[in-house]
Amino acid sequence: MSTLVRVARYHLVQPFQYLVLAWMVLAFAFVVNVIIFGITPVSHHTALTANGLVSVASMDGRYTGALCSFFLMFLVLGVQSIGRSLPFGLTLGVSRRSYYTGTALLAVLLACADGLALTALQAIERVTDGWGVNMGFFRVPYLLDGPWYQTWLTSFVGLALLFVYGMWFGIVYRRWSLFGTLTFVAAQVTVLLGAALVITWAHGWTGVGHFFTGLTVAGLTGLLAVLAAALLVGGHATIRRATV
Amino acid sequence: MTPAISVAGLTRRYRDQVALDDVSVEIEAGSITGLLGRNGAGKTTLLRILAGQEFQSSGSVSVLGAPPAENEHVLRRMVFVREDQAYPDFKVRHALRAASWFYPNWDAGLADTLIADFDLGPDKVIKKLSRGMRSALGITIGLAARAEVTLFDEPYAGLDAVARQIFYDRLLADYAERPRTILLSTHLIDEAAALFESVVVIDRGRVVLEAAADGLRGIATTVSGPVLAVDEFTAGRPVWHRRRLGSQASVVTVGQLDEAARARARSLGLDLVPLTLQQLVVHAAEWPASPEGADLEGASA
Repeated sequence: MSTLVRVARYHLVQPFQYLVLAWMVLAFAFVVNVIIFGITPVSHHTALTANGLVSVASMDGRYTGALCSFFLMFLVLGVQSIGRSLPFGLTLGVSRRSYYTGTALLAVLLACADGLALTALQAIERVTDGWGVNMGFFRVPYLLDGPWYQTWLTSFVGLALLFVYGMWFGIVYRRWSLFGTLTFVAAQVTVLLGAALVITWAHGWTGVGHFFTGLTVAGLTGLLAVLAAALLVGGHATIRRATV
Repeated sequence: MTPAISVAGLTRRYRDQVALDDVSVEIEAGSITGLLGRNGAGKTTLLRILAGQEFQSSGSVSVLGAPPAENEHVLRRMVFVREDQAYPDFKVRHALRAASWFYPNWDAGLADTLIADFDLGPDKVIKKLSRGMRSALGITIGLAARAEVTLFDEPYAGLDAVARQIFYDRLLADYAERPRTILLSTHLIDEAAALFESVVVIDRGRVVLEAAADGLRGIATTVSGPVLAVDEFTAGRPVWHRRRLGSQASVVTVGQLDEAARARARSLGLDLVPLTLQQLVVHAAEWPASPEGADLEGASA
């Protein structure tokens, strides 16, 4: 068994956190939304079909967006995977590099599997007319609304991105504690601010607007994947000198 | 024999303090060494650097022939359980199972025996354990790992006397079966003294004594009795410490006393009491400043 696989298994030796917790959060959000949407009347509009004019349930205002709770849990898991588990990982004789890579491997496997599960749940949602209450829980307009493979790919990349981002926070917190973490956030805000200023001075907002309105989900997924890769490299550079 | 651990000119500076100051130490393979010193002397920092958990500011460290930092070839042959070891949200059995995957020589039977000895329930949540029980878990992992280099940092903080005895007995029994290099830091010096084949004493980040334990037995003696007799006996001998109370004096002299010297002490009506390891450590911290400072290098031979 390679060290990387052992590190991934190390995280899963207590599987509750990684395999159950996020789903519990999502299940709770789901039940709350089913109840809310069950008591909220559905608006209908008429549509011309092969059977003539029929009344169709409208999806306007039927999307919950509560799926983001699941994605945010991945950010939390990423933080924990380093913040809580690194000290004992190093005690077990793993190098920081292997620990980081093995944890990233776990992130990719989890995101892949959970993305597939979300895709399956989305398919069920479509078949059951939104769980019988016309609810768009696993469908998110624009983002997760296309064919199954696109839903899978986008959720996979999104989940992995947030996990890896959380890992970087975990490393920064371990190494520089609270003040360092706040500085880390401030640095990111500064970078974004700098970019916004540059765009403003260059009168580039129209171009930026066109870029984003023209961006397909596949294109966005590609951008997120590049961002995830960049975060992965940044975290790797940071963990090399982390002490516990 | 090649040393299992070799440290040269090791310095670790933090922002406003020097935790280790030009430390040079060699630990023989296949020995039990006590790493002794006061709180804040630098024991934990040294162990953390040896285990690759902390980095030195300058100097060199070699464990099993190579620098340990980020070197898995070395790290997987070494175990270091800290006194304040942080664990994930694990139960005892999770920590033991994970450890069994990473240590190539892991002895599950020994781990089971130890947690039974320590009365450590496998389903207990580590975070809720008492300090003593967490120490017991650290000891279990440290011993069952059967790593070539085993580092213990205050392994029995919070453990009661019975549990400490279990630790000493198990350590010696397992060491006899599978010799390895054990470096153990502790405050409970006299209690653990019988374990050590050699000792390293650190004070304020510096090594003040590095010697074989055998060589230290009888290396310093407290001579007490009437002032005149004591003065006569200790004349010309290196002295660390003098105390006088009325007509009685008590003086610590350095150096082995031969049979003739002992006979003379008896005839002068003097009491001779060899310094315990703990007393030696206390005095060792004061050596460098002592004008009558004796050279103890001979003790390491």
